[in-house]
Amino acid sequence: MSKPIYELVNNLPEKNLTVFVLRSLDKILPGEWENIVGFENTIRQVTGESDAVLIEQIGARAIQLYNDKSEGYQRAMWLYQTIDSTGRALGQAALAGKVTENVPFLSIVNRLTPKPEKAQTIDLCMKLVTEIVAFCKINGIPGDSVGDFVKALGDYGGESLVRMAGLVCFDGLVPLGPNFIKQTETVLGNLTPKDLESNPAFKAIKDAVPGNKTDDQLTFIGASFESVKGWMGGFVESKGITPQGVVANIRTFVDIADDKMDYFGAFLDISTNYYEHTGVQTLTRRLVERAVAEI
Amino acid sequence: MMRKVSTAIGALLLVGLLVVGGCQLTQSKASQPDTAKWEQIEEQTSAIETVDKQAVINGGEFNKFFPSNGDGYERVYTQEKDGFAEAKLKQDGNTLAMLSVSDTVSNPAAVNKYQNSDRTLQGYPLAEVGSTATSLLVADRLQVKVLSRDTDFAPSDREAWLEKFDLSGLAKLVD
Repeated sequence: MSKPIYELVNNLPEKNLTVFVLRSLDKILPGEWENIVGFENTIRQVTGESDAVLIEQIGARAIQLYNDKSEGYQRAMWLYQTIDSTGRALGQAALAGKVTENVPFLSIVNRLTPKPEKAQTIDLCMKLVTEIVAFCKINGIPGDSVGDFVKALGDYGGESLVRMAGLVCFDGLVPLGPNFIKQTETVLGNLTPKDLESNPAFKAIKDAVPGNKTDDQLTFIGASFESVKGWMGGFVESKGITPQGVVANIRTFVDIADDKMDYFGAFLDISTNYYEHTGVQTLTRRLVERAVAEI
Repeated sequence: MMRKVSTAIGALLLVGLLVVGGCQLTQSKASQPDTAKWEQIEEQTSAIETVDKQAVINGGEFNKFFPSNGDGYERVYTQEKDGFAEAKLKQDGNTLAMLSVSDTVSNPAAVNKYQNSDRTLQGYPLAEVGSTATSLLVADRLQVKVLSRDTDFAPSDREAWLEKFDLSGLAKLVD
């Protein structure tokens, strides 16, 4: 088995580059995200309970549920971890020991290569598919109707909403520009199963993407993007988000030079794991909500 | 010469490992006591595999017995797993409470608290746990629970919402 759930939550950093980058989204979603770390602390925050014995009971049930593979939580965790790990090895080496300082973007810029548009587009879609599959693994398919399910999906808040905002900003707007939705549609329209099979992000989570053949999986990816592009577009428009705005919010702690902007998407890609960080938080929250209701 | 180079590489790798390891050590130190405590709790907790999963009622069966939307209240289903269904109770966008039904076959210890309960609601034993939860046990098996998520949502509100579930409908699931 991978690491126990309490260890994963206890090891979430209070301060690192990922946390700084997520905090930069506070300008877009004021007060939405609080970096809750620690297993016991999460139980207290989610349930509002303070009795030590009760907290232990809730935690024990949460651990029991998480440890049972057939419940799907471990699969969801694996997805969040895996989708974020492609391409991070270099980043961790380059940034070792520098996580709480002003991050020397310029010092590693020569090691960065902006991803080709097609690869970046597939990455964006794979993160989206990860979210949809992980949601179903964690929550099941709540309610009795499509309407109920859409409502459940639309009820994103806290770290889940911030993760989606991160997806739009850091994997859409920054690397692909303001027309990222149109661009993704175009790329997806011309994508072949072969293109998909050569993409590292797809290869990493292929087994978890619904569909027996790559062809079916491609259809699922297209349908996933189709179903959330409206939300993405509305989000960008209603919040008035631009690539420049996103970068400006991060600039307070990363020294980005204007002529190196092309590299910034690649920099975020290798140096942060915002999907995994907030994914651990979302999963634990849902697990605790279930545990307290079941004990 | 080759040997010198490999020694140098080895030393560099070692320094690298120490740096990375050192960072991880400082990061996890703060939470170590907590991790040790939960390790111990995990050891004392039985695996879920010991329950008869075939017997557990699917959470989807519970949905239709939840209180319905209306009177300014909105019900948003949030989870549907084996033996468990949960919905948020919202008003004007705020979450007031969590409403849930669970099959205690998957967690038999949950039934214990009703054995000493001297209160009932619609004939079902009632229990209050902690400062946020009120629950009742239907047909000696299904636990219906309301958890406050807003400080104004009082125990009396929880009981009122417990009564809004179709409790007799739920009881029939067990027969």
